[in-house]
Amino acid sequence: MLTLSLILLPVVAATLLLLIKSPAVKTLALGAALVELALAAYAFATFKADAQMQFEFDYPWIAGAGIRFSGGIDGISVLLVLLTGLLTPLITLSAFGREYDRPSTFYSLILYMQAALMGVFTARDAFLFYLFFEAALIPVYFLAAMWGGEKRIAVTFKFFIYTIFGSLFMLVALVYLYYQTGVPGKPGVHSSAIVDFYNLNLTPAAQGWVFWAFFIAFAIKMPVFPFHTWQPDTYVESPTPATMLLSGIMLKMGVYGLIRFLLPIVPAGLETWGLLATTLSVTGIVYGSIIAIRQRDMKRLIAYSSFAHVGLMAAGVFSQTANGLQGALIQMLAHGINVVGLFFVAEIIFGRTNSRFLDQLGGITRTTPKLTVYFMILLLGSVALPLTNGFVGEFLLLNGVFAYNNWLGAVAGLTIILGAVYMLRMFQKSMFGPTSARTETFDDLSGAESWVLLPLAVMVFWIGIYPNSFLKVTEPAVLNLLQYVVK
Amino acid sequence: MLSDFGIILLFILAAFAFISLVLFGASFLRPDRPNVEKMSTYESGEEPVGNANVQFNIRFYVVALIFVLFDVELVFLFPWATVFGQKTLINETKGLWGWFSLAEMSIFVLTLALGLAYAWVKGYLSWVKPQQKIPTVDTKVPQSLYDQVNKKYQPKAKASQPASGTV
Amino acid sequence: MLPIILLSVFGIVLLFMGFLKSKVLLLPATLVFILAALATTFMDWGKTYLYFQNMLLTNNLAILFTTIVLLSAFMVVALSNSFIEDEQAQPAEYYALLLFSLVGAIMMISFENLIMLFVGVEILSVAMYVLAGSDKHSPRSNEAALKYFLMGAFATGIMLFGIALLYGATGTFVVSGIKSYVYTNAYGVSLLLYMGIILLLIGMLFKVSAAPFHFWTPDVYDGTPGLFTAFMSTVVKTAGFAALFRVLSVSFVGVYSFWWGTLAALTCLTLLIGNVTAVYQTSFKRMMAYSSISHAGYLLIGLTALGTQTKQALVFYSLAYSLATISAFGVLLVVSRQRQDTNGVNENFDAFNGLARQNPLLGFVMAVSMLSLAGIPLTAGFWGKFMIFTTAADKGIYWILVFAVLMSTVGIYYYFRVIIAMYFREGAAEPVKVAPFYRYVLIAATILTLVLGLAPGLLEGLV
Repeated sequence: MLTLSLILLPVVAATLLLLIKSPAVKTLALGAALVELALAAYAFATFKADAQMQFEFDYPWIAGAGIRFSGGIDGISVLLVLLTGLLTPLITLSAFGREYDRPSTFYSLILYMQAALMGVFTARDAFLFYLFFEAALIPVYFLAAMWGGEKRIAVTFKFFIYTIFGSLFMLVALVYLYYQTGVPGKPGVHSSAIVDFYNLNLTPAAQGWVFWAFFIAFAIKMPVFPFHTWQPDTYVESPTPATMLLSGIMLKMGVYGLIRFLLPIVPAGLETWGLLATTLSVTGIVYGSIIAIRQRDMKRLIAYSSFAHVGLMAAGVFSQTANGLQGALIQMLAHGINVVGLFFVAEIIFGRTNSRFLDQLGGITRTTPKLTVYFMILLLGSVALPLTNGFVGEFLLLNGVFAYNNWLGAVAGLTIILGAVYMLRMFQKSMFGPTSARTETFDDLSGAESWVLLPLAVMVFWIGIYPNSFLKVTEPAVLNLLQYVVK
Repeated sequence: MLSDFGIILLFILAAFAFISLVLFGASFLRPDRPNVEKMSTYESGEEPVGNANVQFNIRFYVVALIFVLFDVELVFLFPWATVFGQKTLINETKGLWGWFSLAEMSIFVLTLALGLAYAWVKGYLSWVKPQQKIPTVDTKVPQSLYDQVNKKYQPKAKASQPASGTV
Repeated sequence: MLPIILLSVFGIVLLFMGFLKSKVLLLPATLVFILAALATTFMDWGKTYLYFQNMLLTNNLAILFTTIVLLSAFMVVALSNSFIEDEQAQPAEYYALLLFSLVGAIMMISFENLIMLFVGVEILSVAMYVLAGSDKHSPRSNEAALKYFLMGAFATGIMLFGIALLYGATGTFVVSGIKSYVYTNAYGVSLLLYMGIILLLIGMLFKVSAAPFHFWTPDVYDGTPGLFTAFMSTVVKTAGFAALFRVLSVSFVGVYSFWWGTLAALTCLTLLIGNVTAVYQTSFKRMMAYSSISHAGYLLIGLTALGTQTKQALVFYSLAYSLATISAFGVLLVVSRQRQDTNGVNENFDAFNGLARQNPLLGFVMAVSMLSLAGIPLTAGFWGKFMIFTTAADKGIYWILVFAVLMSTVGIYYYFRVIIAMYFREGAAEPVKVAPFYRYVLIAATILTLVLGLAPGLLEGLV
C-alpha cells in the first residue's frame, strides 16, 4: 500500500494541479512533494535491513499472460526511493525563484515525473518497469521542450529518440526473457516477474545478446561513453528544474537497471563483455573530466562532471563486487544530492547575473558568505573530500573497480584528481578574484534558496560522516543479488 | 492424354494462330494503293462534318448501367423459374415451397425495384436533349459593318457559304 | 448475419431519407442504425454459427472484428457534421454508401466460402471507390477515385484468379474444405494450390496496402475527403486483416512453411517503405497514408508469426490503431478547414503550429493519438505493438522483431513532428472552433486509448 501510494500520490496531485489556475499552484505542488517525502522517509525509516522485498503490492494486470502490476521496495531500491522523495520538493522549491509561465502545467509535469520515477524504482514486474521507464521520458521531454533554451526543440527531440531507441532494445530483450520463463508441464504459461528472470539458465550466446540489448539501453540512459552525445546539450538547453530531474534522478534509472537486470540475469555475458563495458565506463570518466576542465559554461561543466561521475558508478557495478555495488548505491544518493545542489547554485548565479560563463563571473564571494559556504560544501562533496558523501561513494567504487582490474582502477582513480581540477577551477573563476561588471551587486541567498541548499548540505555531511545508516540498509540485498553473479 | 487445361490452352493457341494467319495473310495478298478518299473517315457515305472529338453524352452511360443491372436480374430469374414450378418439390412440402421461393424472389425484385424508384425520383432516367450553346461574341462593332466587309470580299461564282458564327 | 441484413436495409432507408427537404435527421439516423447493427452483433456471442449454407461463419473473433469496424464507422459518422452545412454534399448518399461498405466489411470478416470473401471485397471496394471521388469539384479527388478503382479492380481480378486456382486444386470454395484438403494431401499438395495462395495473398495485400502493392495508397488517401480517408484507413484495413487471418490460419496453416518466408520478406519491405518515406512528407495527410502502410507492416508481423497469440494481437492492434487514426483525422479535419492557406484547405504540418496553446483539448487529443500510433507506453498503441512483438517472439523470429523495433524508432520521428508543431511552435492567434458533439467524440476516443493503455487486461478474456 505504501509503495502504491508513493506512485499514485504524485499522479493525483499533478492531475489536480492541471485543473487549478490560481497562483497557489506552487505551494500546492510543494505540499504534495513534501507529503511524498514524508512517505518516502517513513519507508526508509521502517525498512528492515534484510534481503526481502518489503511494502509490496501485487495486482493482476494482464492476468492471462502472467504480467502483473506488482511493486515493492527492497534494499537496492530503498535509497533511490528516498532520493526521489528528497529531491522533488527541493527541485520544486528551487523553481519558485523563476516565474515560469503556465505554472500549473510546469509543476504538474514535475510531479508526473516523480510518479514515473517512483514506479521505475519499485516495479517488480519487468514490463511494468519498462512502462515506467518509458513513461518517465514524456514529462521531462515536455518540460525541456516547452521551457528550455533556444535550441531546445532539436536537442530534446534528439534526446527523446536516442533514449527510446535504446530502450526498445531492452524491450526486445525483456520479451525474449519472458518467453524463456515457463512452468514445466504447462506450455504457454510465462511470467514477467523480475525474480523469475534471475533463475533462467540461458546459453552463453543468448546471454551475450541480452547483455548488449540491456547495455545499450542503460548506456544511453546514464550515459556511458560513447553514447553520451545527447547529454551535454540536453542538460544545458533544459530549464534547470528539468536538468536537476534528469541528472539527479533520471540517470540513476540507468544504473539501477544495470544492478537490477544486467548483473543477475546475464552473468556469463558479463564475463565475456564486462571488461569492455568497464573500459568504456572508465574512458568516460577521464574523457568527461578532461572536457569539463575546458568548459566555460558552468552548466555544461557540471553536465560533463555528471557524465564523469556516472562512468565511475557504472564501472563499480560492472566490477561485480559487494564494495562496487554498495559504492554505486551510495554514490547514486550522493551524486544526486551534489549535482542538484550544484545546478541550483549555477541557476542562482545565472538568475542574478544573467550569465553562466566563467569568464564573465568572478568575485561573487565578496557579498555572499552563505552562498560560498553551501557552494563549497557541495563542490567538495562532488570532489570526494573525506567527510563528504562523495568520498564514501568513490572510495567504495574505486575499491571495487581496483579489485576487478588493477589498471582500470588506477585510471579510474584519476577522477579524484581531475574532478578536483575542474571543480576548483569553476569555484575559483566564479567566486574568487576580482568582481566583473555583472557580479558587482550580488545579493546573498534568499530564504527559499537557503531552504533548498540547507537540507542538501546536511545530507552531504550525514552521508559522509555516518554512511553506515544507509549502507547497512542496502547490504543484505546487495549480497543476495551477488549470489546470482558467477565469479 | 491431355488434361482439361491443356485442351483450353490448345484452343487459345489455335485461335491466335487462326486469327494471325487470316490477318497477316490478307495483308500480304491485298494491294496497297491508298488515296485521299479511301483514307478519309467513314460517315455512312456522307462527307464527314465537324470534329470527331465529340464529348460522350453521359446519359448513355447511365441508361446502359441501369440496363445491365436489370438484365442481370433477368438472368437470375431464369434459373429460379426452373425450380419454382417443380411439381415434385411443391407436393413434398405441401405448397410451402412455392410460397417460400416466391417470397425470396420478390424480395430480390423488390430491392431492385426500390433502386429503380430511387433512380427515377433522382431524375437519372429522364432524357434531356442537349442544349446547344451558341457562342456569342460581345463587341461594340455593329453587325452591319461585318456584313459590309463580308460582301466586299465575297468570293465570286461560288454557292453562298454559311455565315460564320452559327452552326 | 443480422447486422448484414440490418445495414443493407438501413442503407436503402437512408437513400430514401435523402429526399426529405431537411438533412438534419440523417446523421442521428445513421448513428442509430449503426448502434442497432452493433447491438445485434452481440446476439451471437459465445456460439459459432454457420449461415446461408456454410457461406458465413460467425464466432467470437468475427464478432470482435465486427465491433471494431462498427465502432470506427460510428466515430467517422459522428465526426461528419460538416456535410450538413455544405451545399454541394449529398450526405444521404454518403451515409448509405458507408453502411453498404460496412456490409462488405462484415462479409469479409465472417466469410466461410471464398466466394463470399470476393463478394465482400467487391462491395466494400466499390462503395469506397465512389466515396473516394465524392468531392466532385476537386481534381485530386477524381484522381484518387480513378487510381483506386483501376488498381483495385485489377487486384480483385488477381484475387479472383487465385480463388479459381484454389478451386482447381482443392475442388471446394469452403475454407474448412481447403483446410482438410491441405491436411489430407500433406505431401502432395498440388502446384495450383501454391499459385492460388500467392495470387490470393497478392489481391488481399493490395487491399491492406502492403508493399510492394502500396503505390495507390498515398495518392488515394491524399485526394479523398478527409473523413472517408479515416474510414478507409481503419475499416478496410481491419476487415482485410480479419479476412487474411481467417484464410491463413484456417485454410493454409498446413502449408505455413511455404508462405511464411514470402510474407516475412513483404513485412520487412512494408515496414521499411512505410516508415522511411513518411519521414520526408510535408503534408500531414500524406504522412498518415504512409504511416498506415507501416501499420499494415506491423499487423503483417502478427500474420507472419501465426500462432496462438495472433488473434488477440490483431484485435487489440486494430482497435488501438482505429481509435488513434480516427481521432487524428478528426483533429485534422477541423484544423485544416479553419486554418486555410493560399491553396485552400491546409493539410500540412504547419497548420498545426501553436494549436496546443489555443485549443488545449485538440492538442491533447492529437498528442495522445500520435503517441499511440508511435507505440509509446501509457497508450493503447504500445500494448498493440507489444502483443504483436510477443507473437514474433513466440515463434522465435527475433530478426523481424529487431527490424520492427528499428522502424518504430523511425516512426517516432514523424509522429513527433506534429506534437512539436502543436506545442513548441507559434501559430495563428485564434482558436479553432469545434462543435460540442465533435468534441465529445474526440474525448471519448482519447479516454478509451488511455484506459486501454493503462489496463489492457480489460479486453483479455474476450478472444
